[in-house]
Amino acid sequence: MRVLTVIPAYNEEECLEGTIAMLEERCPGLDYLVVNDGSKDSTRQIIEKNGFNGANLPINTGLTSAFRTGMKYAWRHGYDAVVQFDADGQHLPTYIPQMAQVLEEKGADIVVASRYLDGTVKPSGARGAGSRLITWLIKLTTGAVITDPTSGMRMYSRKMIELFCKGFDWAPEPDLVAIVARKYGPVVEIQAEMQERQGGESYLKLGNVIRYMSRTCLSIVMSRFLR
Amino acid sequence: MLPLYLRVILIVAALCALAVVSRQVKKEKLLIEDAVFWVVAAVILVIVAIFPGIAINLAYALGFMSASNFVYMVIIALLLWKVFACSSEISRLKVKVNELAQEIALDHLDERAAREELAAKAGVSVKKDADTPDED
Repeated sequence: MRVLTVIPAYNEEECLEGTIAMLEERCPGLDYLVVNDGSKDSTRQIIEKNGFNGANLPINTGLTSAFRTGMKYAWRHGYDAVVQFDADGQHLPTYIPQMAQVLEEKGADIVVASRYLDGTVKPSGARGAGSRLITWLIKLTTGAVITDPTSGMRMYSRKMIELFCKGFDWAPEPDLVAIVARKYGPVVEIQAEMQERQGGESYLKLGNVIRYMSRTCLSIVMSRFLR
Repeated sequence: MLPLYLRVILIVAALCALAVVSRQVKKEKLLIEDAVFWVVAAVILVIVAIFPGIAINLAYALGFMSASNFVYMVIIALLLWKVFACSSEISRLKVKVNELAQEIALDHLDERAAREELAAKAGVSVKKDADTPDED
């Protein structure tokens, strides 16, 4: 099975080199594509200097569009699966082969690397509460149990790659996981650990967390009736 | 009865709108196809102001307290509809712009890969030539 690792990067000059080095060290021979989403820092220069396999979007278009660029690349180059991988170094490549194996064995459409599948208690605070709420909402609207819906490390099957390329509103977000669990193949989780981000600035400040969570929750409920 | 002040405002506002719209079209900042909505809306307002009977009869037929309420409501409904149309158009434009950016990025990547492949092939043959004397 040919797996492509898609790494969307927006202003990730501090961690990109480390992330790719880790990826090449732990998973030698694994194909990857960095998608530079119109970064304002030196992300582009870093890609060119190191000769990374990277696509440069001429403008900043957002995570969804950056990821879609990777999906199109995967579709046109005949990959069987795509794993969504953060540029900031919080995802561990060690889990990618296991995710691919689970995807194939269980015929899943999405495999999520979950931090909480083994019963690890979710953190208190806004992020933990938000994660619990989304898990509950997905269970309510689809019946599927996704212990870590906000995990950004997900593997998608070839069918999903096609739908990402040709569909109108396919975003690599928890609400899509809910739609796939309800209308397409199974969504399977594996237990995984994650690191703290290795540099750069986190997007998850309290204001952003609240905005993200409310948008995601509303979207899950609306998707249940509209999509 | 449609109050006189409202009729005057309707006519003045409609004429202002027509002036602004035609200026934007002349300055090439608005497409004719998008100006049509505003021109038609302005013309309707002028007609309603000149012939208040239309609004009055419709208002009473539909059970409005007054003709001016009816005129306000029609304008609000029209604007809401227009805002929604804009929102949906912006959605489609966003998707199109992103699509273009994605294709540009992927095209450049393919181009670079092809160039590197070519360079690699050339590099191999050059290197072989350079290596030959050494082997002798």
